[in-house]
Amino acid sequence: MTMIDELVPQPESSNTRDAIRRTAHSHRARRVAISRVMMILCGVALVLTAIPLVLLLIQLIARGTSQLSATFFTKIPQSPSLVDPNAIGGVSNSIIGTLALTTYASIMAIPIGVLTGVYLAESRSKLASTLRVIAHTMAGAPSILMGLFGFTLLVKYFQIGFTAIAGSFALAVLMLPVIAIATEISVRNVPDTLREAGLALGAKPHKVSLKVVIPSALTGIVTGCLLAVARAIGETAPVLLTIGGGYLNEWRPLNPVSALPLSIYMNAKSEWPSQRAQVWGIALVLVAFVFVLSLTARIWASRKQKRNS
Amino acid sequence: MSTSTSEIASQREELAEINSASSSRGWYQWLLIGVSVLFAVVSVSFVGSIIIYSLPAWAHPATLLTGRGWQSPAGPFGGLAMITGTLETSLIALVVAGVVGLGTSLSIVFLVPGRFRNIIATLVELLAAIPSIVYGLWGFLVLAPWMLKTFDPFVNKFPFASAIFGNQGQQFGPSLLLASIVLSVMILPTFVAISREVISAVPSEIIEASFSLGATRWQVIKDVVLPTAKIGLFGATFLALARATGETVAVALVAGGVADAQFHLLYPGTSIAAWIATQFGEAQGGEISALMALGVLLMLINFSLSLVSRSLVNRQRKVLARV
Repeated sequence: MTMIDELVPQPESSNTRDAIRRTAHSHRARRVAISRVMMILCGVALVLTAIPLVLLLIQLIARGTSQLSATFFTKIPQSPSLVDPNAIGGVSNSIIGTLALTTYASIMAIPIGVLTGVYLAESRSKLASTLRVIAHTMAGAPSILMGLFGFTLLVKYFQIGFTAIAGSFALAVLMLPVIAIATEISVRNVPDTLREAGLALGAKPHKVSLKVVIPSALTGIVTGCLLAVARAIGETAPVLLTIGGGYLNEWRPLNPVSALPLSIYMNAKSEWPSQRAQVWGIALVLVAFVFVLSLTARIWASRKQKRNS
Repeated sequence: MSTSTSEIASQREELAEINSASSSRGWYQWLLIGVSVLFAVVSVSFVGSIIIYSLPAWAHPATLLTGRGWQSPAGPFGGLAMITGTLETSLIALVVAGVVGLGTSLSIVFLVPGRFRNIIATLVELLAAIPSIVYGLWGFLVLAPWMLKTFDPFVNKFPFASAIFGNQGQQFGPSLLLASIVLSVMILPTFVAISREVISAVPSEIIEASFSLGATRWQVIKDVVLPTAKIGLFGATFLALARATGETVAVALVAGGVADAQFHLLYPGTSIAAWIATQFGEAQGGEISALMALGVLLMLINFSLSLVSRSLVNRQRKVLARV
């Protein structure tokens, strides 16, 4: 207060001082009012975001759970007829197909992705920095392009046809950059002191890398792999162009298979109300797969973080 | 103090140099290099094979880029509807998701009480992991019938609005507008997840300093948080745009799949990715290479968006290091 008293010319009447005070008050009132309005608008945005997503989740769970049954999980699909419009069978073929596709894709993508990631983290060569740009660009590439790639290379060029292996190749190409980037980050986060301690004890660099660096980065690597699998499991576009589909419980690599996202896409456009209703069940199973994978990854990562700190 | 730290750093560098120069290059180094080269080969052949299969279609670049109508199986194959449809739907989705998403991330960081913040953040990341086909399914089975029964007839009551939206008194259900809505709902969690992280990365010291100077919450956001996080937020925007332009099955379900190039929002349309997905099954010969050429266009759009967003994120890191 003394500061203001010194600054304000003394001989003036109290009127002026009041005026200054009033201006300051009204300015503050204006600032506070504007802030209130803007923060309310932010809150409205939060509600606007929540409404469609909550609606979607509620409908998915409500309509999905009513479809789940023993038949749903164990029987193959059946074409409904006018006599029996509700005879739609189950989706065991898609569940088996999705598990097979993801397994093959992981077998292809994880070793290559992890080793590439380790190389990116440990090398300072031109090759590494070029690869890093490539990996980041590939990680954001539209999944339909992976489908086109699987189609041109395996289905057409190598004449393998629409098979599980073509589909899982497309999914592996999608997973590769994700795994490589996650591995690079977690290997980089291993403290240099650990590496140097290993080297100082006389261990060869590859021993240090294999026995010290990779084990301490393992949680991050596994988390990255799980998230990559979670992404691949729900992708429709790559499998749409490569796996062929089919009604049988098929898992062999060189045969056409079905997949959960593919049967969602196909059945959603069905003319039979019973099949359109079944789609919610398939979507619920798919989302459950994805949530379990991502939650496992997150919980594991946060637990490890706590132990480290 | 600083000199000794930098000395240690430079010694470390030297040690690393010696290591990689002399003793290594054993089987392990060669394995790493070999696998990385394999990764590079896969990536290059990914781009290469799509380009090579698209080559025949580039004989008529004008038709491909600006032609209307898609006559399968013999052609001509005009790509105008797909290109404009992609840009139209993803830009609308981006504007909606950008404005709403920014408000959402600001309120997660500045309004929501601390103990709920982590739960909401995890929830948002889980929502971002939901496969796009599920969003498409919801749009197709829930929103499209609603548009058909309620929204379209409502718009048709006003001749003026009907002219703007371009449904000319008809009712379609699936349309470019519906595709934009589904896309914006779909990219919202992704955008919120990234922008929330960018906003939380703004150092709390400068935020607390401005609060202590008597700034209101909005003044802190407008004058301190947003300017600091600006570049990172642009990066998030480009990433969301890249995701929206590449979205396939959700758009294929709700856009209507019509290649008329009408541009009107309530008229059915399509996008590049959606058109590839819907046409590929029955395509033969020339049509396959035309679809591949559309794929090349999509690749160009997507790669340039990724490169821009990546360089923006890197610049944001430097900005934060300076603050």
